[in-house]
Amino acid sequence: MAGATSEVLSAVPGGASSARRRRRRGNPWRRPWALEGFTWLYIVWSIVPVAIAVLFSFNNGASQSTWQGFSTKWYVGNSVQSVLHNPSLHQAVVQTLKLSILTTLITVPLGIGFAIGIDRWRGRTSSSLNMVMIFSFVVPELLLAVALFLLVTQLLKFLTLGTTAEVAGLVVWNFSWPAIIVRARLVTIGKTYEEAATDLGASRLSAIRRVLLPMLMPAIFASAVLVFASTVDDFVIVEQLSSTAATQPMSVLIYSNVHGGLQGPALNALATIMLFFSLAVALVGFVAYRWMTRGERSQGATQALTGIAGI
Amino acid sequence: MPGGHVKLQSLAKRFDEVTAVDGISLEIEGGEFFSLLGPSGCGKTTTLRMVAGFEPPTSGSILLDGVDVANWPPNQRNVNTVFQSYALFPFLTVAENVAFGMKYRSVPKSEVTTRVGEALELVQLAGYGKRRPNQLSGGQQQRVALARALVLRPAVLLLDEPLGALDAKLRRTLQVELNGLQKQVGITFLYVTHDQEEALTMSDRLAVMNHGQIAQLGTPEHVYTEPADAYVADFLGVSNLMEATVEAAGVGAGPCRVRLGDFLLDAATGEVRATGDVKLAIRPERVDLHPHETVGANRMPGMVERLVFLGSTTQIFLRLANGAALQALVRNDGIGLPYRQGTPVSVALPADALRVLPDPGVSVAEIHDETLGDRLLDPAGAAPV
Repeated sequence: MAGATSEVLSAVPGGASSARRRRRRGNPWRRPWALEGFTWLYIVWSIVPVAIAVLFSFNNGASQSTWQGFSTKWYVGNSVQSVLHNPSLHQAVVQTLKLSILTTLITVPLGIGFAIGIDRWRGRTSSSLNMVMIFSFVVPELLLAVALFLLVTQLLKFLTLGTTAEVAGLVVWNFSWPAIIVRARLVTIGKTYEEAATDLGASRLSAIRRVLLPMLMPAIFASAVLVFASTVDDFVIVEQLSSTAATQPMSVLIYSNVHGGLQGPALNALATIMLFFSLAVALVGFVAYRWMTRGERSQGATQALTGIAGI
Repeated sequence: MPGGHVKLQSLAKRFDEVTAVDGISLEIEGGEFFSLLGPSGCGKTTTLRMVAGFEPPTSGSILLDGVDVANWPPNQRNVNTVFQSYALFPFLTVAENVAFGMKYRSVPKSEVTTRVGEALELVQLAGYGKRRPNQLSGGQQQRVALARALVLRPAVLLLDEPLGALDAKLRRTLQVELNGLQKQVGITFLYVTHDQEEALTMSDRLAVMNHGQIAQLGTPEHVYTEPADAYVADFLGVSNLMEATVEAAGVGAGPCRVRLGDFLLDAATGEVRATGDVKLAIRPERVDLHPHETVGANRMPGMVERLVFLGSTTQIFLRLANGAALQALVRNDGIGLPYRQGTPVSVALPADALRVLPDPGVSVAEIHDETLGDRLLDPAGAAPV
């Protein structure tokens, strides 16, 4: 049978050589070893350092490199240096939470209003406002931070450095998340539901309140999660706009102590707490988003992720 | 039920460059089932949206029981809409959806529950009140949308291709139900569709639309049997259209003599007094086939090109001696048809079925103005041609 095939192949002009070429190119359905290897390398490279940092926050000694047994003393046990007992450390945790909650509470309603506004507002103005929406993706964070610093210290002196200026800066920086995510959802929803509501007797305002806002809930929630998580992480803006040690959040404290000053696994513990906040919020967001969109067609884990990420 | 009288006067809507609705005038009686029929982009949905209040008209007026509501917001008009996509609120239960609008009519709470129950019963969904819209099938969702609109007892119910998203079988069932429902509640229905079968079976009267204008308005029977022009004839289902020349125009209501290639035929309906180039229309079910070389009135030789079995009938594609293509529809009565591909036949086009239509390239505007102008505002519609 094989002989017959090769005879047939060689009888066709060019048949034998094309078969040879196919063999040289190899099996197109083989496993992509190189890509798989690179993916694993990436995962190891990005997770291992974080895992080590977390691990050493539980070290039963003062070393950040030699394992001396498991302990939670850097969180609660140590009466001087633990996150719980060191005032500068737990002050930072409180400040981070305070900034994140305030920023989320201010940014999200503003973003919703902006998104609904430009969705309804047709014409040239709205397309230029569209550009404003991606502002924070384009402008370097450091540039914005320095500009805000000058603005607050030179011009708007009522906005004192510290929590007020920090929140103002973070709101500006994170504004794009709710604006873009809510806008994307508005486009998906379309105008029919609002039209149906006004058709049934609702005024425009009542249609927004009774129909549009409930339908926007997944997007509102997703953007709240993102704003919160990104505020927990933020360093550049808060570093510029914080004033005394009392208004330094976790990120700034960790940065200023890594190269001198306070050292040891207590910093690892602080960083772990920061990581925990971000992960917890992302997880809550993921689960809640899936729950809120459970009735919608073709929902799945991937969709929830992209929904959360605002794509 | 009193009320529900709709009158559109020179209603027009222009978007930037496009004219969607180009000055239409029509009158709908209270309790009538009226359809706007036409292909996509003919302006039927825009017309409906103007009546609903979602689009302000560029000019013209919309009289609802004598009051011009053209510039009123939708929530102040006593009309309700059933959307093609249903637009049920996904976060509310079926009962909450149906009750949605009653909040704005200050209906007492106890009465709301009763009316929701009645409305769901009316659309045969009693007991479904606690479900969510996504737990229902497409047909059931459509009924909820219907209940949600009807519970408010509007003067006019607007339906925008409400059966468009359903499969053919369900669509047929719902057509019958919807028609029965309309007769039961007695509310004026303004129904928009691109499906000529739907419009013909359900409507009391209908308007065929083309390029933002009304091409013809009348009862389904009238529009189907006496299409005003080639466009209407073509849109209302398969119709054979042939080019011909008038040899002798009809005198009075008598037939005219037309030339098709080498053959002269009599045509007794339509614009029998037309002259010059015209179109001839004949429905496939009126084309008779006789054995080859037999003689009779209004016959032409032809040849069978193709047979398509459709169940109760067979569709026969013919080629006439002058080269024109023609379709015939023959009932399958169990004896078996004596035709095959290539069978020569004698094709009879009865004079009373052969309809003369003015060539639309020349005089469509005239047809609209003269032939239809008087009929547009006449609710009876079926003025004899």
